[in-house]
Amino acid sequence: MADAHTSSQPASPALACENLSMGYGPRTVLEGISLEFYAGLWTAVVGPNGSGKSTLLHTLAGLREPRSGVILLQGRRLAAWPRRERARRLAWLAQMPGVTDLTASEVVALGRFAHGGWLAHRQAVDDAAMHRAMVATGSLSCGQRRLSTLSGGERQRVHLARVLAVEAPVLLLDEPTSHLDPPHQEDVARLLREQAYGCGVCVVSAIHDLSLALAADRLIVLGQQGVIGYGTVREALAADWLSAAFRTPVNIVEHRGVHLWRPAVPPARRSGEVSTRLDERL
Amino acid sequence: MNRRRARAAFGLAVALSAAAPAWAGSVMRDDLQREVRLPANPQRIISMVPSLTEIVCALGACDRLVATDRYSNWPAQAKALPKAGGFEDAEVERLISLRPDLILLSRSQRITERLGEFGVVSFALQTESYADIGHAVQAIGQILGVADRASRLNEAIEQAVREIGAKALAQRHGDGPSVYVEVDPTPYAAGPSSFIGELLARLGARNIVTSELGPFPKLNPEYVVQRNPEVIFISPAEATQLAQRPGWEQIRAVKEHRLCSFPPDVRDTIVRPGPRVAQGMRAMADCLARVAP
Amino acid sequence: MSTPQPAVAQLDSAHNGADRLTRLGTWLACCLTITLLLTCGSLIVGTSSIETSLGWLLSPDAQSAVVLWEIRLPRTVGAWFAGALLGLSGAIAQGVFRNPLAEPYLLGTASGAALGVTLSLLAASASVGALAWAEKLGVTGAACLGACAAIALTVGLSRGVLQTASLLLSGIVVAFLLSAVTSLLLLTKPDIWREMQTFLLGSTAFVSWSSVTLLAIVFCVCAVPALLLARGLDALTLGEDTAQSLGLSLPMLRLTLLGVVSLGTATAVGQVGIVGFVGLVAPHLVRETLSVNHRQLLIGAALCGGALLQAADLLCRWIIRPAELPVGAVTACVGGVYLTVLLWRRSRDG
Repeated sequence: MADAHTSSQPASPALACENLSMGYGPRTVLEGISLEFYAGLWTAVVGPNGSGKSTLLHTLAGLREPRSGVILLQGRRLAAWPRRERARRLAWLAQMPGVTDLTASEVVALGRFAHGGWLAHRQAVDDAAMHRAMVATGSLSCGQRRLSTLSGGERQRVHLARVLAVEAPVLLLDEPTSHLDPPHQEDVARLLREQAYGCGVCVVSAIHDLSLALAADRLIVLGQQGVIGYGTVREALAADWLSAAFRTPVNIVEHRGVHLWRPAVPPARRSGEVSTRLDERL
Repeated sequence: MNRRRARAAFGLAVALSAAAPAWAGSVMRDDLQREVRLPANPQRIISMVPSLTEIVCALGACDRLVATDRYSNWPAQAKALPKAGGFEDAEVERLISLRPDLILLSRSQRITERLGEFGVVSFALQTESYADIGHAVQAIGQILGVADRASRLNEAIEQAVREIGAKALAQRHGDGPSVYVEVDPTPYAAGPSSFIGELLARLGARNIVTSELGPFPKLNPEYVVQRNPEVIFISPAEATQLAQRPGWEQIRAVKEHRLCSFPPDVRDTIVRPGPRVAQGMRAMADCLARVAP
Repeated sequence: MSTPQPAVAQLDSAHNGADRLTRLGTWLACCLTITLLLTCGSLIVGTSSIETSLGWLLSPDAQSAVVLWEIRLPRTVGAWFAGALLGLSGAIAQGVFRNPLAEPYLLGTASGAALGVTLSLLAASASVGALAWAEKLGVTGAACLGACAAIALTVGLSRGVLQTASLLLSGIVVAFLLSAVTSLLLLTKPDIWREMQTFLLGSTAFVSWSSVTLLAIVFCVCAVPALLLARGLDALTLGEDTAQSLGLSLPMLRLTLLGVVSLGTATAVGQVGIVGFVGLVAPHLVRETLSVNHRQLLIGAALCGGALLQAADLLCRWIIRPAELPVGAVTACVGGVYLTVLLWRRSRDG
């Protein structure tokens, strides 16, 4: 878990894909994608619905077969990794993990499965990793409660703890903040930043909320035609990738070093002066 | 002119009605308590019950049969007749298309109402116990117009049965053997109120099943082990497997191999209340004489 | 992010954990006690009165010893193992298909076994050679083979075990198909219908010590891999993608677990006929009273299923003694009542 907050890129990417194409049946979602993700950086994937954020992440995680192209995990082809070793190096958080009768600590313990396997007993190193993960996500108090009795936010934190317990160098998350209240969304974003910056993990997440996504180190902007751009947030704003992706002007402002999306909602007018023009901007 | 025409029409009508055959049959009450208008001399008869087929042929009217159910297999002449289904699945279409004068049925068959709708005469008879044999023979004899032949047949059957029973009892010293009759490997047993149970009783054997259990009770196998019968009536296929049933190798009949099995044609005479009942009883008596202790 | 005092949190979790374990322990002890009571009850219930049976226990003679130890005891122990196999298979099926209505017969086992028995009974009257074969195989062997053939057909039809939805559908199709074939065959020779009905309604009448040995061996062979892979079922509750990403091999998991279900169900059906509801109700009973992970659920469902079938066997011998009810009819009644109560409670709780 070396510090990786220097501006220079490390030698080889933690996760990369070359000329990747993916689709469902006759429909092609994305093609010819070549990307590189480095350790210590948090990359956010943004784009409109249907642009293929989820598909891209699923394919990168090895959960979908791509039509063509190759995915490299730490320099080696994804398919070439033995199943459990791969699971130790690449952790995945689904958009809506199932509801279950297991207790929170049992769910987090599942994250250590790849380290032990079927016949393994829980060891001290497993307990330590679980404890660290639950402390980091603030889910220690839920330890013995059944997941089905927890609130949505608590459940998401337990799942995050599970993902962190894997202690994998690559983290892929599909919409980790979609069902959370704003304070919890904040917590998750802070957690991802800390994992990348503090622990040197390569974090890739699909995030719907633009303001949260803009807190990442890198952005991948997907549009209807494919990848519109991949780079730092400043590069994305300079080239206005977001407007191209959403096909409508997207207003980003900077406030005390933080980028925020400013939705263009006109202020309430006096009665009689309601305008129905959608493209009217202030 | 009109009056003459009317008179001619009237005379024609009288002549025609005189030429139409008069219905000279009888009305008899069948076992479903229906008053059935029977034709005088039925020439095309269908029997849907094997024992009734045997009775019709025993009364010398086999030629009048045009079809039977699929299980009627005696005598050979009846076996060769076209078949019209079984107990539950009588083929109504086939029955109607054969244009019978009379169909003989069992009391519990369901097609009686259907046949009535088509105007076919059907006569239901109960065929379950020994007493039913005499009643059926008499009824069929009356329908076929051979009533005295029927009473002679009844007498012959009664006499043969009595003789065999007396002979068996004479050969017996003390109580008859305790017998278990298995109908099915489930195990289903034959109780004293079943037909085969009645025959056994006439031979002086004691059924291990008591009458309050009904004619065909589904027993707990341990019951048989506890009653320890001296003779077991069983199907040939199961006879070899008896010792493998848990606890059964202790039963006297199994240990000492006192088993009675009958080939299918003999078995028919034992389970069908019909004119060959004496034959069946003789087979049973012979077996008992052979294997009983 | 709020981090509550770790010390207090640990204490809390430990307390809850201990609570859970004691509840589980109590439940297990209850189950074992009930099993013991049922076994003792089965020894004294039968065609003779209870007083007579108690007298036999105290002062046995040769014949009563046979009744007690060769007939009643293997019957109840065999019923327990068969019920345990069905309960275990039902719990596994519900986990693999992630469907609380799944039960051990959903791969077509019941219809396959019925067809096997029909063929064996028909063969017995077809030719001498066929009769010899049928005798060697016996009804139990034929049922087992039929069940395995049905499963092979289901898996083949759904082209492997990868898609649970297609597997479920194939199971339904195969069940209907084989039922239809069985009915058609029965039409050709309706006199075997009574024996078929015995099989279809289940019967523990002739369970001997050799049956018990077979059932016990198969139970151990099934329980070991099932308990080892139980964690995989836990992971599956989180979703297939999540389970795969954790390093589980889903095809291996499904193949092994469905193999266990098939073996267990086919053996149980071969020995006691088609006994319904035990595989469905046992896991539900466990889940209603306890909150458990899958390893505990499998153990609990096996124990529960065993006790259920034992109780049904006892009832079917007791109610109309010395005659006997088919054990499957008793389990259907009990199971039906339980599910009705469950539905009513659910609808009441809204």
